Amino acid sequence: MSVITLDHITKKFGDSVVLNDFSDEFRDGEFVTLLGPSGCGKTTMLRMIAGFEKPTSGEIRIDGRIVSSADTFVPPEKRELGMVFQSYAVWPHMNVFNNVAYPLKIRKLPKAEIKEKVDKVLESVHLSQYSKRMPSELSGGQQQRVALARALVAEPKVLLLDEPLSNLDAKLRERMRFEIKEIQERLHINVIYVTHDQGEAMTMSDRVFVINSGVLQQVGTPVEIYRSPKNQFVADFVGKVNFLKGVSDGGKIKLSGIDDTLDYSGPVSGEVDVAVRPENIHIVNGDAHLHGKLVSEFFTGDTNDCRIAVGSSELRVIADAATYGKFSSEDTIGLEITDMLVFPSASDDLTKIRT
Amino acid sequence: MEKKKKFYFDVKWLFIIAIVAFLLIFQVFPLVYLVIRAFIADGSFSFDAFARIYSSDMNWTCVLNTLITASLSMVFGVLIAFPLAFLVGRTNLYGKKLFRTLFLMTYMVPPYVGAMAWLRLLNPKVGTLNMLLQNIFNLSEAPFDIYSIGGLVWVLTTFYYPYAFITLSRAMENMDPSLEEASRISGSSPVKTLFTVTLPLMLPSIAASALLVFVAAASCYGIPSIIGAPAKLYTITTRIVDYVYVGSADGLTDATVLAVFLMVLALVILFISNFVIGKKDYITISGKSVRPNIVDLGKWRIPITILVSLFAIVVIVIPFVSVFATSFTVNMGKSVFEEGNFTFKYWETIFSRGSILRSAGNSLVSSVWAASLGMVVCIIMAYLLKRTKVPGRKIPDFLITVGSGTPSVVIALALIMTMSGRFGINIYNTMWIMVVAYMIKYMLMGMRTVVSALSRVSPSLEEAAQVSGAGWLRRLKDVLFPLIVPSVVAGWFLIFMPCFYELTMSNMLYSDQTKSLGVELFLYQTYHSQQTAAALAGCILIIVAVLNFVMNKVTKGKFSI
Repeated sequence: MSVITLDHITKKFGDSVVLNDFSDEFRDGEFVTLLGPSGCGKTTMLRMIAGFEKPTSGEIRIDGRIVSSADTFVPPEKRELGMVFQSYAVWPHMNVFNNVAYPLKIRKLPKAEIKEKVDKVLESVHLSQYSKRMPSELSGGQQQRVALARALVAEPKVLLLDEPLSNLDAKLRERMRFEIKEIQERLHINVIYVTHDQGEAMTMSDRVFVINSGVLQQVGTPVEIYRSPKNQFVADFVGKVNFLKGVSDGGKIKLSGIDDTLDYSGPVSGEVDVAVRPENIHIVNGDAHLHGKLVSEFFTGDTNDCRIAVGSSELRVIADAATYGKFSSEDTIGLEITDMLVFPSASDDLTKIRT
Repeated sequence: MEKKKKFYFDVKWLFIIAIVAFLLIFQVFPLVYLVIRAFIADGSFSFDAFARIYSSDMNWTCVLNTLITASLSMVFGVLIAFPLAFLVGRTNLYGKKLFRTLFLMTYMVPPYVGAMAWLRLLNPKVGTLNMLLQNIFNLSEAPFDIYSIGGLVWVLTTFYYPYAFITLSRAMENMDPSLEEASRISGSSPVKTLFTVTLPLMLPSIAASALLVFVAAASCYGIPSIIGAPAKLYTITTRIVDYVYVGSADGLTDATVLAVFLMVLALVILFISNFVIGKKDYITISGKSVRPNIVDLGKWRIPITILVSLFAIVVIVIPFVSVFATSFTVNMGKSVFEEGNFTFKYWETIFSRGSILRSAGNSLVSSVWAASLGMVVCIIMAYLLKRTKVPGRKIPDFLITVGSGTPSVVIALALIMTMSGRFGINIYNTMWIMVVAYMIKYMLMGMRTVVSALSRVSPSLEEAAQVSGAGWLRRLKDVLFPLIVPSVVAGWFLIFMPCFYELTMSNMLYSDQTKSLGVELFLYQTYHSQQTAAALAGCILIIVAVLNFVMNKVTKGKFSI
C-alpha cells in the first residue's frame, strides 16, 4: 500500500526523448496500466520506478520518500518492490522453492518463516506441488507464476509487471489476467502493469495511461478511455474504429466523398474526423444514416465482421451473425450509427504509431 | 548513493588500465618494436632488409614454400571439410556423432604428433604404410615420400581441415531451416536447394574457414620442423627459429623481416575474416534451437558411410595407432608384432628419467599460471565488455584477438628482442616469459567462452535479484557466478591444454632451467630416440583425452574440444 509520485519525469537516451515531462501519482492499492505501442516509453517508465534507469530530470517518490532525483538515487535493491520481467528471469540454477525464497533470504528471515511464507505464496499461485522442480522442467505458464510468486513473497508495497503475459498462449493469458487481478485485490497492493495489449489493460486496470512516443495521450478508467478517447490516437489504439473525414456546420456533418450527412449537436465545428466503432454501426432496413454496398464479410461465430463501401470510404461493421450471407454486392445496405466521436481534424495522422 | 556509483566506475577503470597496460607492455610494444626493427636495422629507415629477403634465395624459397604449402592446405582442407560438415551435420549418415568426435580430435592434439606419425608411416625407406603398399601392389619403390612439399601439404591438411570443419558445421547447423524450406516449396529439388540456397548462404563461412586454415598452416612450426628439416624444406617459421638459434645480428634482422611478413599476412587475413566477411555473414543464430533439415542419402547412405569411415581410419585412426605402436617398438625397421620387437622400456624411460619429469613439471607449472592469470583477465574483461558501458572496454578484447591471431614464432621473437633487459624488463630465461607468451597466444579461447556465457545470462536475471534486495556482490555470488562457473572451468582448460604441450614458443624461449614438455619431446624426436618421443606423445594424448573427459563431465557435456 503506497503512493508513487512521478514529478516532471523526462528521460532521454542520447538525443532521443523517450519520456517527456511526465507527472502523475499512482495511488494506494490501485491497478495502473501503462498502455502503448512498443517503443513508446512505457517500459522505460517502469524501469525508472524500479531503479534500473535514472530519469534525465525529474523526481520519483515512493510514499513521500525520494528514490530518484537530481541528487538522490536509491538503487533497486533498496526500494523494496516486487517485479515480474517479460522474460520471467527465473534463475535456471535454483529450484522453484529457492527462486521464490530468494528475496526473503536476502532479508535474512529465519528459516521456518521463509518456508511458511514461500509455501503460502506458492499455494496462491497453484505451484505447491512443484516446489522442488527446476525451472527447465516447468512450462512457460508455470515459470511465469514462479516469477509472480517471487515478486510477491516479500509482500512488496508495489508490484511492477513488465508485459508478463506476452509470452503465454492465448488461453493461459486470459486466465492469468484474472488471477493477477484477484491476487492484487486480495493483497490490496499497488500494481503498475506495462502492456501493449489493450485487452489486458481493459480487464484489469483501475486506470489506464495511454502513451505514444513518450507523450501521455490520456489517463482514465477503461470505460472512459474506450468511450471518450481524447484524440484519434487513443480511439484507434484502444479498440477498433472507422475514421471518416467531414465538415461540421450548423448541427450537421457533411462527410467528404459520401452523399449522406450525419446529425451532430456537439461543440466541434469546421473540419472534423468522425470516429465510429464497428459495433456502433448497425444494418437496418428503412431509415438509415448511411448507405453502402457489401465488400467482404467474415463469419466469426457470434458476429459477422464485414466491410461496407460507403461513397469513397470503407467501413468495418461488426453486425449480427444472422446477417451473414444475406446480402449480395449489388444490394444497397442501410446503416444506422448509434454512437460516434467527433474530433477536430488533425493536420498530421495522429493514429500513426510513432516510435 | 550517487557517490558509491562513481566509486564503482573508478574501480572498473583501474581494471581496464591494468589489463591494457599488461597488453601494451608485453604484446603491443614487442610487436611494434619488431616492425620498427625490420625497417630500421642500423639507425636509419630503409627497406634494405626487405630487399635482402627477396634477393636471398634461401629466404625467398622459404617464403615461397610457406605460401605454397599454406595455399594447398587451404584448398584441400576446405574441399575435405565442406562435404564432411554437410554429411555429418545435415544428412542421415550413420555414426554421425562418432565421426564428429573423431574429426574434432586432431583439434586437441599437438600438431607435431601428427607429423611424427606420418613420418613413421610414409618414410620412403621404412615407412609402415609405404612398405605395406609395396607388398600389396608389388612395387619396386615406395609410393609416397613424406619428405616433400606434397608430404608437408598432406600432414598440414590432415591437421588443419578440422578448423574448417568446425566453422562450417556450426554455420550449417545454425542456418534457419525455413530458408531452405522456402526454396523447396518454390519447387527446388534438394540438390538444387543445396547449390542455390545453402551454398551461397554459406559462402562467407567457407571463405572465413579457408582463411583460418591458411593462417594456421602458414604459422605452423611443429609440422614443417619435423618433416621439412630432414628434407631441407624450409618455411618462414622454421627459418626464423634457425636464425634465432644462430643469433647473429644479420640473422636476427632477417628473422625479424620474415616475422613481420608473416605477422602482417596473418593479421590482414584476421582482419578480412573478422570485419569484412563477418559483416556479410547471413547466418543468424535465433533464440530457438533450430533443427536443421536432414537430407536423406537414400541408397547412397551405406556407400557414403563406408567412404567417410575409410577417410577417418586413414587420417585419424592409423596415425594415432602408429604413434602408440612406435612407442613399443625396439627396431623401427621391423613391425612391432615381430618376435622380440615389443618393449615397455620407452614408457619406463619417460616416467623415470629426471630431465623428462622436470620438463613435465615445468610445463605443468607454467600452464597453470598462464591459464589462471589468463582467466582472471578474461573474466574481468568479459564482465566489463558485456555488463558495463565503460568507454574503451573493447580495447582489451581487440588486443586479445590480435594476440591470438599473431603466429607463435612472431610472438616469441618479439618477446626475445624486447624482454631480455634492453628496455628495463628482463624475464628472458625465466618461466615468466613463457607464461606471458602463452597468455598472449591462447587467452582468446577463455575470453570467448566467458563472453558467450555472459551473453547467455540475461541481465534480467541479475535485475530480478536486485529487486529482491541483493547488492552488487551478492548478485555476483548468487546469480551470475553460479551460472558461468562451467564456462570458467572450460575456459581454464582451453587455455591450459595448448600451453601444456606447446612447442613453438617454448622452443624459442626455453633455458636449461625452463625446458618444457613440448621441447623435450621435440629434442628426443629430432636427435635421440623417436620411440621415447612417441611414448611422450602417447602420454600427452592420454592426458589431453582425460582432461577433455573431465571437462566434459564438469560442465555437463556443454564443453569439450
